[in-house]
Amino acid sequence: MTEYAIEAQGLGKAYRIYPKPLRRVGEWLTWGRYKGHHEFWALRGIDLALKPGSSLGLCGANGAGKSTLLKVLSGTTAPTEGRYRIRGRAASLLELGAGFHQDFTGRANILLNGVMMGFSRRELMQKTPEIIEFAELGSYIDEPVRTYSSGMGLRLAFAIAASVNPEVLIIDEVFAVGDMYFQKKCVDRIYEFKKQNRTIVFCSHSLYDLRQFCDVALWLEGGKPRAQGDSIFVTNEYAAFQRQHIGSVAEAVHGDIPLVPASARRRPEDMPRILDARIYRLGTDEECYEIQSGDSVEIRVWWKNPRPSETPIQIGVAFMRGDMTTCGGQATHFKGLTLSGTEGCLVLKAPELRLLAGQFLIPVVLFDGEGVHRYQDYLMPQNLLVRAYTKDIGLFRLDLEFEQRRLAPPAPKDAPVEAGARP
Amino acid sequence: MSPEREQALAAEWVTARPTAWREVGLRLVRLPWLVAEHWDLVRTTLKRDIAARFQGTVFGWAWPVLQPLFLFGIYFFIFTEILQQRLGDLPEDKKALMGIYMFTAMLAWSALSESLARGATVIVDNGNLIKKLVFPAELLPLNVVLASLTVMLFGIGIFVLATLLTPIWHAPRLAILWVPVILLLQALFLYGLVLFLGTLQVFLRDTAQIMAMLTTMWMFLTPIFWIPELMGEGLEPYRALLEVNPAFHMVSAWRGALMGDVVVPAGQRVMEPVLVARIPEHLGTFALWAVASYAIGYTFFTFSQRRFADEV
Repeated sequence: MTEYAIEAQGLGKAYRIYPKPLRRVGEWLTWGRYKGHHEFWALRGIDLALKPGSSLGLCGANGAGKSTLLKVLSGTTAPTEGRYRIRGRAASLLELGAGFHQDFTGRANILLNGVMMGFSRRELMQKTPEIIEFAELGSYIDEPVRTYSSGMGLRLAFAIAASVNPEVLIIDEVFAVGDMYFQKKCVDRIYEFKKQNRTIVFCSHSLYDLRQFCDVALWLEGGKPRAQGDSIFVTNEYAAFQRQHIGSVAEAVHGDIPLVPASARRRPEDMPRILDARIYRLGTDEECYEIQSGDSVEIRVWWKNPRPSETPIQIGVAFMRGDMTTCGGQATHFKGLTLSGTEGCLVLKAPELRLLAGQFLIPVVLFDGEGVHRYQDYLMPQNLLVRAYTKDIGLFRLDLEFEQRRLAPPAPKDAPVEAGARP
Repeated sequence: MSPEREQALAAEWVTARPTAWREVGLRLVRLPWLVAEHWDLVRTTLKRDIAARFQGTVFGWAWPVLQPLFLFGIYFFIFTEILQQRLGDLPEDKKALMGIYMFTAMLAWSALSESLARGATVIVDNGNLIKKLVFPAELLPLNVVLASLTVMLFGIGIFVLATLLTPIWHAPRLAILWVPVILLLQALFLYGLVLFLGTLQVFLRDTAQIMAMLTTMWMFLTPIFWIPELMGEGLEPYRALLEVNPAFHMVSAWRGALMGDVVVPAGQRVMEPVLVARIPEHLGTFALWAVASYAIGYTFFTFSQRRFADEV
């Protein structure tokens, strides 16, 4: 007997695409020698080993294979390669209300839906009051499901499904619907499952939910695992990736700073410019573009200025998130520095850079002597990837601590100043 | 299933390997146990299926009775009046022969044609269930067959009642004891056909259309509205075809069980369109068909089942 609740090895699923129905007939007639279809791999190379009581979250873009993996694991569709096994009774909630019959009453549908899930009628008769109570349908339970609002249908469906008490629960993103109150109820129910040492696999677009529910996460991209492991790590990787999609960066970054007007008197080679910029671990010569939140780095900028007396320069460096939010930055003119000489290397030291997870762009701006106009926008070719392993939210990790005290709320201020009153 | 067995089963590797012949064989034999195990599901869906036809109608549960009653009325009055001329002088107690001859066969045929029509699309129509729920999908076609047989039984009940309460025909005799056997074989035969067609429809959506045409043809090839004995020489070249037709044996067995022996003078000859003594012979042939149909249909279904969710 295996110690894992869910185990998968090299699991893959391919769909056969037939451009025309006739192609399939052709395959039959030639006993498979003629190949009329092409394969589409919706899922490939999935390895899982989940201990009982753990929970796995799936994230990834639409069409990344999340639902396919859930379908394969729940047994509605067979794998094309690899294998998996599940220990104990598994229940899956791929869609709420699959199998509802619109013309029957809610009560009849409880029975119908329940026997589909493998309950006996007797079990269901016992559970019915509990289900009705959870769904909060009141007297509507004896009306046809056709008359229900979509929220009521969902409540009933979830209530039936929640009454299943499996060792392994496989849930597609089904409770992302319904009102907040009911969502909370569903979430509480799933927490309860977790507490009972049951194994949960679920997929969600909400990274927050994934972090909350799951110990481990799997990020799928194009059907293949892109990252797998600790859920905070994986969701951060995924968040960093999501922020990578950027448009025309230079435009967006410095659109508001005017360029120095081109002058006919100066030849291009006499103009100041930035030669290169790189990130190193602080105090070392080790280049690095992937750090953990809180690591120390330095940014080196090599510049050239053939005529420093005619064109004095200042340099600014910033950290910018993919959505063009400037998270922080510094410039030589803010610090009162002057860059003398015809060339040099400017180092910006960033000890304990506590940016939270994400992909950050590093724009370097070459200003004129006053820091008003810019000569050049230089975008560091490589982005800085920051990973975070803490459950902070926002841009930076701040030293935030909780403390609990026994304090009475402050007494209301006496003689409040009335609006408009003048002393 | 005991919890231990459930655990042991559930912890087996699920692989990409195609279904093995051994497994198919096991499943063929194990069907009765599967049905017993999921009896609650079978019963509930069957009830739903029949109830859904009459849900929201004014007559409600009177419909399964009204339909065959109406059918019976048609055959009894119209066909008896028109066709008794051609049969020559019928004895007084056999006046209704033609009407009842057609009605009994029509009941059995309706169950067949309805099973085929609904069965061909049953897997595709329930695609959502197949994709989203884990349950034995072979119960869907079974449900179709059982529903059509249940409706047929209502009709047979009406017929038996009519023979008891009215003088149109003599009450069923001992031959009616054949009914459970006929029912079982018919269920097996239809189930195999429906499994086969339903599976084929998943991969080839023309199946239902083709089958609708073939069913009509099949109906006219089966002696439902005509009596082979009356056909004379013209039928002889096609006699072998008639003897092969499983539906011929099915309706003949039903007639024998419900009508008893019918021996009437037809012109110069003595006609024996229905004979109780021939029931075992008919059922023997039909049983071969039934077993073959079930074996082929279920085998095809079992091999293809793993691809249903991808195709529906």
